[in-house]
Amino acid sequence: MSKEKTVERRYLPEISQKEMAELKNTVKTASQKIIADNIERMKKADPHRPEAMKYFDDIANLFGRRQQEIQAEKERGKKVIGYMCLFAPTELILAADAIPVRVNSGWYDTSKVGDRVVPVEVCPVIRSTIGAKMIELSPFLEQSDALISVLTCDGMTKLGEILSDQTTVWGMNVPRVKDSNQSLRFWSDEIKHMKAQIESLTGNKITRKSLKEAIANSHRATKAFRRLQDLRKANPVILGRDAMLVNQAYSWDDQKRWTEKTEALCAELEVRVQQKDWVCSPDTPRIMLTGTPMFWPDNWKLPALVEEGSPSGVIVADEQCSGERILNDPVGVDEWSMDDMLNAISERYLMASTCPCFTSKDGNEDRINWLLNKVKESNVQGVIYYVIRGCMLYAMEYSRVKKALDKINIPVYYLDTEYTREDVGQLKTRVEAFLELLNARVDF
Amino acid sequence: MITVGMDLGTQRVKAVVLKDGTVVGRAQAFAGFDPAKVAEQAVNDALSAANLSLKDVNHFTATGSAMDIAPHANSTVSMMGADAKAGVFLIPQARTIIDVGAEEARAVKCDDRGLMTEFVVNERCAAGAGAFIEAMARALEVKLEDMGTLALQAERASPINASCVIFGESDVVSLIHRQESKPEIARAVFDAMADRVSAMVHRLGINPVVVLSGGVAKDPGFIASLNRKLDLTVTVPEYPDYVGALGAALIAATRAKGASK
Amino acid sequence: MAGELIGNILTLIVLAGLGAAGVLAVILWKKNRASRVSFLRFVIQAVGLAALFFLFALEPAIPLLYILIAWFAATLFLGRFFCGWICPFAFIMDVESVVRRALKIRHRLLPEKLNVALHKGRYLILAAFLLLPIALWVVDPPPNTASAVMMGQLLAGPFRPYSIIIDPLIPPVVPWTGQLILGDINLSYPYVGDIVTFIEATPGQILALAFVAVTLIGAFFIRRVWCRFCPAGASIASLNQFKAFKGVPLLYIDKDEEKCTKCGVCKRVCPAQVNEVYEQKGGKINTSQCMLCARCVEMCPYKDALKIKLANKTVFESRNWLEPSIESEERKIE
Repeated sequence: MSKEKTVERRYLPEISQKEMAELKNTVKTASQKIIADNIERMKKADPHRPEAMKYFDDIANLFGRRQQEIQAEKERGKKVIGYMCLFAPTELILAADAIPVRVNSGWYDTSKVGDRVVPVEVCPVIRSTIGAKMIELSPFLEQSDALISVLTCDGMTKLGEILSDQTTVWGMNVPRVKDSNQSLRFWSDEIKHMKAQIESLTGNKITRKSLKEAIANSHRATKAFRRLQDLRKANPVILGRDAMLVNQAYSWDDQKRWTEKTEALCAELEVRVQQKDWVCSPDTPRIMLTGTPMFWPDNWKLPALVEEGSPSGVIVADEQCSGERILNDPVGVDEWSMDDMLNAISERYLMASTCPCFTSKDGNEDRINWLLNKVKESNVQGVIYYVIRGCMLYAMEYSRVKKALDKINIPVYYLDTEYTREDVGQLKTRVEAFLELLNARVDF
Repeated sequence: MITVGMDLGTQRVKAVVLKDGTVVGRAQAFAGFDPAKVAEQAVNDALSAANLSLKDVNHFTATGSAMDIAPHANSTVSMMGADAKAGVFLIPQARTIIDVGAEEARAVKCDDRGLMTEFVVNERCAAGAGAFIEAMARALEVKLEDMGTLALQAERASPINASCVIFGESDVVSLIHRQESKPEIARAVFDAMADRVSAMVHRLGINPVVVLSGGVAKDPGFIASLNRKLDLTVTVPEYPDYVGALGAALIAATRAKGASK
Repeated sequence: MAGELIGNILTLIVLAGLGAAGVLAVILWKKNRASRVSFLRFVIQAVGLAALFFLFALEPAIPLLYILIAWFAATLFLGRFFCGWICPFAFIMDVESVVRRALKIRHRLLPEKLNVALHKGRYLILAAFLLLPIALWVVDPPPNTASAVMMGQLLAGPFRPYSIIIDPLIPPVVPWTGQLILGDINLSYPYVGDIVTFIEATPGQILALAFVAVTLIGAFFIRRVWCRFCPAGASIASLNQFKAFKGVPLLYIDKDEEKCTKCGVCKRVCPAQVNEVYEQKGGKINTSQCMLCARCVEMCPYKDALKIKLANKTVFESRNWLEPSIESEERKIE
């Protein structure tokens, strides 16, 4: 018998090195296959895919280039700070010369591993992230020197606690009522506290100048992002999946390079707009996705179904914290003093967010408004409301969203699924029926 | 013009032959392990019932969960689309079609042209579908066909939970242990199922007239329970299990017409 | 006589030139909206200041009363556009803000309740000052001579009640109103003239100095502090809050609720701490606290969420605001 080392843990079960290595191996192989498969399907769906997407395909390989880059940076002494919710102030991380990466995991196989810790009723995003940690699969999760866990939904709250078995985890308390002064004060304090924590971990002081630069860089990224979104508003020149991948890649890519590459992609697409070189027929139903975040790679099943089905649709917009919400809101700085910059950061992360964990005087009206606005701006013809089992907040907000969309006569379909790959057949019939319905509306 | 609609369901494959707007042949068979072969058989049966052969058919349209493997199919249509089309064809006032099949229940809202405007599907749970009755019939040691008539004899309802077939069965077993009579248990089964279906329909919203189709629509016990739950009388067409196939055949006719134009 | 006429004509030419400069600035900005509206506002304020200087220097000077009437008429339709874009006193405060920003000193906020209280209280201050002459007349009735004459004297005499409204027009550079003498320099400042005339000798001087110090220092730390309760701002624009007058304002901020994510930028950047733009559900923003300085519209990061409308036509709307501003900020960083 070989010596098996085990680590004592409060939540995570004892798991032998051998079993871990075996699991890691199988899951890694499977997920590499899924990543390659997804990209292959995207290439097939759009034979004339933009050249600039090559870069994002490369970055999309979670075990590839970016992992090595971060490793190299770490060896040079940079710190990596992982985060699990969009509420983590990435500007502060960047200003402290650390690397922010989002560590939510999108692997189906790791969610099965996570079942050993939490019941299957728990949202698969959580289970999958726990599973990834257990078998040390996710490169970014492993590279993180600290994790920012934002207490938004119940799952996220406990996820941070469970992960704290192995990593430093900083909790950030989010007030649930968004539009009150006391909430903002509370959240500002959290942000200031986070700043101090980041400074002490990295040993770099966040100065006015470095923060200003970080904010300006984020603005540039937002600008590139908005340019891409604007291109999706007219006749489609890019598949929704490609755009979604670009958006999501931001959460682990190098910010400056991402901005450059996205600008390059936009430049390429703008030429296509001029040449009227559409990626699919302009009367393809225009779909918007909303609901639970879809993390790369296993969540790509639904977008793939929408864009490859018969009849097929094209995803032109989304309202997901794994998609457009990542970059939509800029930090609006009035005066470039430290104080105002921090204020601006707190407001951007709290008040501009349309996460369903919030409520306010009018309920979560901001989200409804965002949806209505997107529907109008992007000429959306149908909305797919995507909920994975266990995601309470999104599931519970559905009725209100439906009513609001009914009012403007936009069909919405509630799609309940899981991280599994096995329900693709069922999903397919539903998605295709919905697209058929949209086509029928257009025909008459 | 002759068109064929095939409904490749989870349990049975149904085929309908349509000639200029009237049904001239229908056939069905157990899907089994090779639905494509069975579908071939069903189509041939239906065509021979109408004294026609494959060559005469202008357009084939397939629907149902296995529509992608349908033989001869020129096109496919979703089950909801087919239900809506056939529902309005059979009962012109129909605006809501509830289709309860072996493993799935669906509800479709449609307009006067038979175009669906909205639909819901029961989410991955057999408790709202025919398989539930089957499992319960097994537990009660009653033939599936007798469940309905049995339930109609019940004098009162005893509630069971229909969150899941398996737990439903254990509920039924506990009713058996409490020595409830068979009719009452049978009614409880239908009530529980109708509960789930009606919850689903309520989520969609009800536009009268409501049509019930699918294999389960042949069961009088379920119809009675659903009527009670929805507080209205659902209309059941003559061959409820063929509604999907008929819808496909009707859509095939429009498509053939559109192609010939 | 001839010399005076030539002088007046020259003044008028300069005045016209200044007006043209203002119009030109607007046209240039309209052509290339990439330049920020704040800069434009600064230019207009400077032009306005110079124009007022010449207006007052004109011989014979246009009576303040006429300006007052014109101003009131304009506010009825344009709201407090004057306060935001022309008022010389506000310009001084804006200059102070720019200096403060350059020194990287953070601004302070007035407590929200106090801000609202001041906003409402200014009507009382205004009413008190306007009624003061009448009260004085009642308390200390003038001799039995023509009372109308006496009343006229009270209203137009050394204590001019309307000056409380008109005085913010008196920036330090208008030479002849100077009552505040620091060393050899003859300064002028809003209200100082009145204080000194009304309260004679040293106490008046001290009070005047104190007033100047408080307003200048206050405005350094709190953006546009005077505007919060400026009696001049308590203009007829406030009438527009009444239902019957709702349709009257031609220039207003319009909010598109659906495009707003309530990110709060508009609330934070507002120099007068106006909450209504943030809180109101959409449509015409109705508050006489707003000076239409357009800072919120400029900073709003959502395209078309906020608009400034003139007679239902959009003159300025929020853009993907990052577009111009970040580029200019970029240059500063590098």
